[in-house]
Amino acid sequence: MPKRRDILAIVLIVLPWTLLITVWHQSAIAPLLAIRKACHHLVKEIFIIPERLAVHHHRLSDEGAEGRREAGGQDSKEYCASDKDIVEVVRTEYVYTRPPPWSDVLPTIHIITPTYSRPVQKAELTRIANTFLHVPNLHWILIEDSQRRTPLVTSLLRETGLNYTHLNVETPKNFKIRGDTRDPRIPRGTMQRNLALRWLRETFKNNSQPGIVYFADDDNSYSLELFEEMRSTRKVSVWPVAFVGGLRYESPKVNAAGKVYGWKAVFDPHRPFAIDMAGFAINLKLILSKPQAYFKLRGVKGGYQESSLLRELVTLNDLEPKAANCTKILVWHTRTEKPVLVNEGKKGFTDPNMEI
Amino acid sequence: MFIIFYYTYIEIGKHLYFSALGTNHRCFQGDSLWGQHCDCAEHDLPKDRAISRLQEELYRLQEKKQPPKSSLSTIFVITPTYARLVQKAELTRLSQTFLHVPQLHWILVEDSPRKTPLVSNFLMKSGLTYTHLNVPTAKERKLQEGDPSWLKPRGVEQRNEGLRWLREDRKTEPGDNGQQGVVYFADDDNTYSLQLFEEMRSTQRVSVWPVGLVGGMKFESPVVEGGKVVRFHTGWRPSRPFPMDMAGFAVSLRLVLANPDACFDGEAPMGFLESSLLKGLVTADELEPKADNCTKVLVWHTRTEKPKMKREEALQVQGLGSDPAVEV
Repeated sequence: MPKRRDILAIVLIVLPWTLLITVWHQSAIAPLLAIRKACHHLVKEIFIIPERLAVHHHRLSDEGAEGRREAGGQDSKEYCASDKDIVEVVRTEYVYTRPPPWSDVLPTIHIITPTYSRPVQKAELTRIANTFLHVPNLHWILIEDSQRRTPLVTSLLRETGLNYTHLNVETPKNFKIRGDTRDPRIPRGTMQRNLALRWLRETFKNNSQPGIVYFADDDNSYSLELFEEMRSTRKVSVWPVAFVGGLRYESPKVNAAGKVYGWKAVFDPHRPFAIDMAGFAINLKLILSKPQAYFKLRGVKGGYQESSLLRELVTLNDLEPKAANCTKILVWHTRTEKPVLVNEGKKGFTDPNMEI
Repeated sequence: MFIIFYYTYIEIGKHLYFSALGTNHRCFQGDSLWGQHCDCAEHDLPKDRAISRLQEELYRLQEKKQPPKSSLSTIFVITPTYARLVQKAELTRLSQTFLHVPQLHWILVEDSPRKTPLVSNFLMKSGLTYTHLNVPTAKERKLQEGDPSWLKPRGVEQRNEGLRWLREDRKTEPGDNGQQGVVYFADDDNTYSLQLFEEMRSTQRVSVWPVGLVGGMKFESPVVEGGKVVRFHTGWRPSRPFPMDMAGFAVSLRLVLANPDACFDGEAPMGFLESSLLKGLVTADELEPKADNCTKVLVWHTRTEKPKMKREEALQVQGLGSDPAVEV
C-alpha cells in the first residue's frame, strides 16, 4: 500500500513538470516553424530596414478580414472594399514617436473621432495624434465625412504609428447645413459616430476583450489623465467639460454618496443627460449588449444628441463620476478659429499641390 | 491510466497557454477562451508572438544604437504665454507634443508681474525640462479688450526675456558643448508636427520652412532655387526683409550667443517683428531651407476661438458663477 502511494505522489509531482517542459518546447519551436512556413512576406517586411529604420507590421488581409467581410458585405458602400485592416506601424528610429507598447492588462480605449475636410483638418489631426501617442492601448477610429477616404487622412494615419481604423461615410448634403425647416438637420458627426458604433458591434460580436468607447472631437483638448480615469468605466462614466454651454465648465452634480443626481448647466439642465460628447465614456460591453442604441439622426433638438444615445444605455443612477468626483477639469471644449484666407483671392494664390 | 492523465494535462495546458496568448493577441476576430472555437487560424497566434518578440528585439537593438542623449543638440523653445480662459488647454496640448521631442528645453515666459500657480503647477507635472520666467508687458504696449489681435505686437518682452535668460545661462556652461543648440520661438496656440523639430536640429545659422494658415493664405513659404532661398512667397508686404512668421524659422544657439544685442524690436511696424531680430543675424542668402526644400508644411498657425461666456457672465452677476476653485 505505502509503495503505491509513493508511486502516485511521484507521478503527480512529475506530471506537471513534464507538462511545463512540453509547453516550453512548443512555444520555442512552433513560432519559428510557423514563420518559416506561412508568412514569407511578413518576415520580409520585418527584416527590411529602409533608411529611416521603420518597421511595418501589416495584418494579413485575407486572414483577418474573414469575419469582417461577412459583416461588412451588406453595406459595402460605406466600408471600403479593400484595406479594412488594422495597420500597425512600429517606428524604431525615434523612441519618442511610437505609441507605448501594448499591455495585456489594460482595457483598450476605442476613440471615435468624426472628421471633415477643411483647411485646419491636418493641423487638428496632427496635434490630437500627438496626444494619443502617449496613451497605452489606444485604438483610434477615425471616420471621415466624405464619399471616399482622402489621401491626406490615409497617409497621416499611417505616419503616426497609432493603432487605428479608418472609415468614411458622407452626410447627405441637404442635411449638412441648415436647409429648409421641413428637413431638420442631422447634427454634425452623427452618421460618422453611428458608423463607428456599428463597426465596433460587428467587429467585437464574438469577442469579449475589455474596452472603453469615447467620442473625441478633433478640435478639443485632452489631458492624459482623462484616459486613465475612463479606463475603469463599468457602464458609463462622466466628468466635467470646460467651455461648453456658455460656461467655464459644465459638470454632473454628485451627492455625498458619490452618485450623480443632476447637472450643473444653464442651457436646459433638465435634459436627461445634460452633458457634452466629450464628457462621458461607455464600456464596450454595454454597447455590445444594446445593439439598438445609436445617436438619433433626425428630430433631435440642439443639445439633446448625447441624451439620444445615453438614455438607451443607462439611467442617472448608473453613472460613475470620475475626475475626483467631478471636481477637476480634464478636457476642454476648445474650438479652432476658421483661418482668414483673404489673400488667396479668387484663383487661389498658393500652390494647390502643397498639402496643408 | 497514467497516459490518459498525461494527455489530459497536456490538453488543459494547451488551452491555458492559448488563452493567455489570446489576450495578448491583436486580432479582433476570434475568441480563444475555454471551449470556444477560435476564429483566428491557430498558427496565427505563435506567429504573432514571434512577431512581437522580434519587434522587442528590434527595440532593444535600436535603443542600443540610439545616439547617447548628449550628442543630440538641444532645442530651446521660447514660448510667451498669458492668462486667459484657454491658457491651460493650450499649454496642455502643446506639452503633449513637446514630450515626444528628445532634448527639448522649454522656456515658458508669462506675461505677468508674478509667476502664476496655474503655470507653475502645470510645468511641474508636465514631465518636461523647462525654465519658468515672467515679465509683464508695459501697459501702453498691451492689447486692450476689444483690440484686434494685430494692433500691437505681442510677446515681445517675453521673447526677449527668454533670449536674455538663455544668454545668461550659457555663460555658466563653458566649452563648445554648451554652445550647441537651436532656438525656436513657438507660440502656445500653433500646431507643430514632430518632424519639424528634427528638421531644425541641424541649423547652422538660421533655418526656414513654410508655415500653414498664415498671412491670409493657406501657407507662406520661402521659395528655394538651387538649395538657396531666392525670395518669399507671401500675400502680404513681400518687401519686408524677412516676410515670415515667428513659427517659420529657427536660430542656432551659437548665433544667438555671438550677437548678444540681437533681440525683437517692439517698436517695429506691424509684420516687421521677425525681421527686427533676423536682420541683425543673417542675410537672406545665408538662410538654410528645411522641410524638403520648403515644399512641406510642418507647422500651422492655428488660433483658438475665445470661448463664449455669456451664461457664465449672467450667472456671475447673480452671484451664482461657477466655483472659482475649479481650475480651468
